[in-house]
Amino acid sequence: MPPAEALSATLVRDDLIRALSSVFSTSLGLPVRLLEPAPPGRFVAPSPATAPVITQVVGSVGFFGELNGVIYLCFEEVFARLCTGNMLGLDGAEVLAMGEEPVNDAIGEITNMVVGAFKNGLCDAGFPCKLTIPTILRGSNVSIGPISTVRRHTFGFESAGHLIEADLLIKAAD
Amino acid sequence: MRLKILTVDDSKTVRLIIRKTFKPFDCEILEAANGVEGLAVASKSAPDLILLDVTMPVMDGVEMLTRLKADPKLRNIPVMMLTAEGGRDNVLSIAKIGIRGYIVKPFKEDAMIEKVSRIVDLKPVSESPGKARSILDPLDLLVVEDKPAILQQFEQGLKHTPWKIHGVASQGEAIDFCGRATPDLVVVSLSLAGDSAFALFRILRASLKTKFTPIFALVVKTESEAQAQAQKIGFTAIVTKPIDMADLESKVAKAMNLDTSKHYFRSDGEFLVVDLPQNCSNPVLAEAAQYLAPKLAEAVDAGHSLALIDLSAVRSLHLGIIKFIVQATQSCRELTIHLAIVGSAPLIAEFRSFEETRSWSFHETIDGAKAGLKQQAQSPADAPQAVEA
Repeated sequence: MPPAEALSATLVRDDLIRALSSVFSTSLGLPVRLLEPAPPGRFVAPSPATAPVITQVVGSVGFFGELNGVIYLCFEEVFARLCTGNMLGLDGAEVLAMGEEPVNDAIGEITNMVVGAFKNGLCDAGFPCKLTIPTILRGSNVSIGPISTVRRHTFGFESAGHLIEADLLIKAAD
Repeated sequence: MRLKILTVDDSKTVRLIIRKTFKPFDCEILEAANGVEGLAVASKSAPDLILLDVTMPVMDGVEMLTRLKADPKLRNIPVMMLTAEGGRDNVLSIAKIGIRGYIVKPFKEDAMIEKVSRIVDLKPVSESPGKARSILDPLDLLVVEDKPAILQQFEQGLKHTPWKIHGVASQGEAIDFCGRATPDLVVVSLSLAGDSAFALFRILRASLKTKFTPIFALVVKTESEAQAQAQKIGFTAIVTKPIDMADLESKVAKAMNLDTSKHYFRSDGEFLVVDLPQNCSNPVLAEAAQYLAPKLAEAVDAGHSLALIDLSAVRSLHLGIIKFIVQATQSCRELTIHLAIVGSAPLIAEFRSFEETRSWSFHETIDGAKAGLKQQAQSPADAPQAVEA
């Protein structure tokens, strides 16, 4: 088993791009591309108090084993609804009529699949680990502040004209 | 007997996708949100296949699988893992417990059907006995046409139906749509660029998901060569431009074996009402006539003995309508049902102009017909019918 330090930033980046592209194209029928450099997102850095209020739906799934970590995927609510509709074969009005719960569930499942695909890449690279169940956070202009002992990787992706922010926090097993 | 497939997944989204994926097949989809629920449903319903997630709250998929395999009554139920937990080691350790397949999310619906069909015998809904779908049930129609005006005609012409029209402009978009959802019927314009209409037909037929989906060819009325080619390749039906929407509806109903009786027959309290539409062509009358005997029998079975034929929407009289009324009268007489006919004054005048129908009784309003029927019903048993056939 390679040491945790062997998990390079490039490996993390490439694995996440592969995972996100696979899930978006297979389950949502949407292309996705990495934005380089990552734009100043709302989620990966605190928004200024004057920033307009935008509702976000954030999915998170952890992984534990040889590596411990968590991945957050932050969607603007309007894009979360679009993804839900694409996933379930529903139009915008139908998704809107269903309320928040199905959108939360769909974003939870999208995050689960993305983190699963990412984690499976880690497994095959010699870092076996397992997934946790997804959780969903809804809020306006939310951001996270990680503790200093974890490695943090932040990315911005674009799909269908919308920004998806990804925040990876990884810590080697004790 | 219908196949039973149990999906055990904590995500309602995944369970909905499974339900959608198997919609074209004669399957009953059972659902459970975790391993405990999954074991309970499996014990109660003995499914033919279990699609099992790994990471779930309460009891995860590995524990459920272990318990399932330890139970002599449940151990033979085939299990296919459907999970985001991939990775060689995970798959191998779960495979050792005993599974028939492993699908790593995200998955294509086609791939899912392909793998499941290796384990159980999936049959399309249309081949299986059961309650027929009605013309008033919602349907998803995929129309593949690169001319927006024609797509608009479909939407406008069928807006009175509960059918949802999904318009796409190309072969690629149609394939994408069928990847996400399973249409009940596909209409493909033969005027798509190059050979793409026929190529699309072949692709749809090659997919297990759309293998049995009716596919109509849409072609200009005068293009007989293209029509012949479409028939030869196996399109279910040909729809010609300019589109006759009534004809299209009728073809859809026929291709999907839809119960169209609700177009013509309805219960109104103690009355069975037969509504004949404005477009009362001979094919329409033939369609309505096939339901006459069973609908009258149903009315009698429900304890009713009053029926009326409403011709208010019919614009002009022709022999087919007269034959239909004679047939209805004879059927009513056999079942001792009192029958009245409602029609507009001009239509009644047309009836009066024929020797054979001059003596028939008519009402100009539904209420008048109902009152007349009630009066007849209170009279002696051999009360007169509207028509002396």
